[in-house]
Amino acid sequence: MISAAALAKRVAPVFACFGLLAVWQIAALALKNDSFPTAIEAIRAIPDILGDKEALINILASLRRMAMGFGVAVLVSIPLGLLMGRSRAVAALFNPLLMVIYPVPKAALMPIIMLWLGVGDITKTLVIFLGVSLPVIYHSFEGAKAVEEKMLWSGAAMGLSAMQRLVWIVLPAALPEILTGCRTGLVLALITMITSEMIARQSGAGNILFNALDMGQYDTVYAMIIIVGAMGICLDAMFERVRARLVRWSEPQFDLPLSFS
Amino acid sequence: MSDISLTIEEGAFVSILGPSGCGKSTLLYIVGGFVSPTSGAAKMKGKTISGPGPDRGPVFQEFALFPWKTVLGNVMYGPRQQGVQAAEAEGQSRALIEMVGLKGYENFYPKELSGGMKQRVALARTLAYHPEVLLMDEPFGALDAHTRTRLQNDLLNIWERDRKTVLFVTHSVDEAVFLSDKVVMMSKSPGRIRQVINIDLPRPRRRNELLLDPRYQKYVVDIERMFDEVDETGSPL
Repeated sequence: MISAAALAKRVAPVFACFGLLAVWQIAALALKNDSFPTAIEAIRAIPDILGDKEALINILASLRRMAMGFGVAVLVSIPLGLLMGRSRAVAALFNPLLMVIYPVPKAALMPIIMLWLGVGDITKTLVIFLGVSLPVIYHSFEGAKAVEEKMLWSGAAMGLSAMQRLVWIVLPAALPEILTGCRTGLVLALITMITSEMIARQSGAGNILFNALDMGQYDTVYAMIIIVGAMGICLDAMFERVRARLVRWSEPQFDLPLSFS
Repeated sequence: MSDISLTIEEGAFVSILGPSGCGKSTLLYIVGGFVSPTSGAAKMKGKTISGPGPDRGPVFQEFALFPWKTVLGNVMYGPRQQGVQAAEAEGQSRALIEMVGLKGYENFYPKELSGGMKQRVALARTLAYHPEVLLMDEPFGALDAHTRTRLQNDLLNIWERDRKTVLFVTHSVDEAVFLSDKVVMMSKSPGRIRQVINIDLPRPRRRNELLLDPRYQKYVVDIERMFDEVDETGSPL
């Protein structure tokens, strides 16, 4: 049996989606503009895209670059952020560098990177890497900084070395904060993925989207937006599941989840 | 702090009492090896203390439990770190959890426990790696009066069983008298040892008997008066 409240919680996102589509449909019918297809036309174009082998290869290539950029960024950023949070020297060394990189839109660096590394996978993956790194470093840093001193002392009394304390105490204690950064990073990975393909038009989901735009296939444009959006929602929901499982020990008992999982 | 000279015998329960800001916790952290003294040295069994070690087990007011570990996981942490086999560490830890009165809570996470229960876990976690000295930093300071009394009783029972050396920082006079063999009274700015008072009360101590004992009452009244003096001379409020 599902309670009424639980049922409402499950049904609410579905309602929201249908509501949005309905507003779109009505607006498109009212405006009668060529460049603004109705929701139904856009949805009809989705199977065409997903059934096309070429398009699928492009989307998979996008996802592969995204996974690569995100994975490497997380593997590099978590240790760096934790070290910065626990060592004043490391923080002093990297802080100015990050302060400079932080406000620069990563896509703005693309022309330079393209000059050096070409328009291939490496350039796009590198841009995704840069986009994901900063929030993960920042949250790892904040999480490590907030670890209670006495908890580390307790570990030291048990005989843990400084390195062991970083891995076995700081890392788990900061994990909720780190995963918040990773969640932001995941969405940024998707954004930078599309942006990079928009600038270096060679392959990928962003490439399909902008080629369709050039050729005036507006239903395909909107269908691609729905596909990319759905990818984002699915990835976020999957991540949220993993996150909730990993940090169950830290969650408040009653929580308003901010995801579609 | 300045001119601190204090020697503690093995197996003694010693309380450090003083107004806030007199450095009584800092003194404890120096013995723990968590903080280095700017001058002078702390020694244990003739060896200068240079850092933390499992021979000195801290229990903090803030509990400082590992929130991602269950009660059992927290208590087993020290022995496992010391290289004790998992099965053996688990057996010992379960016994300790029972001793501090938390049987049935082995698989709970710290966030699911009350303050008093958390401090019981923290005590068990420290006892689990068999430190020679227990360093207790206002361990019951964050607890309500009733819980505090119960934990004092239980601590005394546990201590009277194996008589570990205990260094206990507090600002509660009756807590210090009730528990200790010796009370070290500190004054502030600069933090100095004002007086060391031997508490000559029989053991095992029972709270209900002790509270009616005129000798206990005299210790409390005398030390409270001394506390007032050091607090007034220390700072112009």
